[in-house]
Amino acid sequence: MRRVDTPGTGGYFPRPQTARLKANDEGIAMDSYLTPYLPILVLLLLAGVMCVAITFFATVLGPRRITNIKEAAFECGSPTTGDPHARHSVKFFLVALLFIVFDVESVFIYPWGALLRDLNGDGLGWFAYFEMMSFMATLAIGLVYVWRKGALEWT
Amino acid sequence: MNSVGLPHFLIVGAALFALGMVTVVTRRNAVGILMGVELILNAANVNFIAFNHYVDAPGRLTGQVFSIFVIVLAAAEAAVGLAIVLAIFQTFRTIDVQETDLLRE
Amino acid sequence: MEAVLFYIFAIGVVVAGAQVVLRRNPIYGAVSLVACFFFLAGIYVLLSAHLIAILQVMVYAGAVMVLFVFVIMLLNLKEEELGEMHVTTMKGIGLAAVLVLVGFIAWKALTPVQFARDMAVNEQIHGFGGVKAVGNVLYRSSVLPFEVTSLLLLVAVVSAVVIAKGKI
Repeated sequence: MRRVDTPGTGGYFPRPQTARLKANDEGIAMDSYLTPYLPILVLLLLAGVMCVAITFFATVLGPRRITNIKEAAFECGSPTTGDPHARHSVKFFLVALLFIVFDVESVFIYPWGALLRDLNGDGLGWFAYFEMMSFMATLAIGLVYVWRKGALEWT
Repeated sequence: MNSVGLPHFLIVGAALFALGMVTVVTRRNAVGILMGVELILNAANVNFIAFNHYVDAPGRLTGQVFSIFVIVLAAAEAAVGLAIVLAIFQTFRTIDVQETDLLRE
Repeated sequence: MEAVLFYIFAIGVVVAGAQVVLRRNPIYGAVSLVACFFFLAGIYVLLSAHLIAILQVMVYAGAVMVLFVFVIMLLNLKEEELGEMHVTTMKGIGLAAVLVLVGFIAWKALTPVQFARDMAVNEQIHGFGGVKAVGNVLYRSSVLPFEVTSLLLLVAVVSAVVIAKGKI
């Protein structure tokens, strides 16, 4: 971005002349940066319409004949055993914890992967490579620790 | 329809911060308090990104990079905080923060 | 269009955030917090922070809230263990103070101010807030914070495992 010394209409950083917003025939400025999200909007609308429609038609059209047997809790055909509110093991927490760490790692790898070619073009290829490798090595130490500690044993 | 500007985003951030603060102060459930902290961190993120979009020089992205670090920090905070909640539950059989007062004695 | 989307997302954020405060059962609070994060991702898209919006959904709604829900189900608190909701005058005063403060900020912020700079400049820069643009700043200028982040995560993993291992 070019900085000018005398502030004009746009302050020190004048409005770029190249990428103007395009106006359509009605004169409404199109939100061009939002257009890639149109499929997501369509998907959300479809999902919402499906949910509402299925629930609505099921309650309106379907017959409702409730008996005691239908209302009973069903577990693989056999009588239910044990407290349904039994406490779960802490191992689930440890797995979720490891998932968070490697989720964050993948989140960092994604822009790095998209950028590596550009960085290589600037002569920073090996720098970026070792930057990411040391990041992953540090997280791998954590994985090794958890492994040796026996937190991954599912007994 | 009037246009949306920086103040509108700042109001969303302020409202989110206030909700997080109310959660942290009024909840007695330790997990609820941690959820309030997440709301507060997100309020900070909204402000970072809104200021980065409207006030920082065009093309500069310091605010967005900072908010990435805030997100990672929130993940680490949630991991350690929830582990502490589990440890508290194991000691006291409750996560009511009013009753975990060993240090007071 | 942009204004309509903003109001949808902003109302969603505030309503879902209010559920976190008002619901006594933490599982409802966690689910409405997920909804709140999705609406926030929409707000980030409006601010053309595309990568942050994806991060918000992946890390917050996808990973952090999973951890919260796991812990809530792990503890599996019964009704009496949740602790009853006390409505005291002090809480009422606090809530009123918060409402007044936010209202004051909103009133101040919405008063028309002459901004020195054109505020919509960034929307017109190609690739602003995209994966490559943010990655450029992240991997060129903030190398040290990036490496320190890995240390933070390492410390978090080790300490969480040390605290939680063998519990319950």
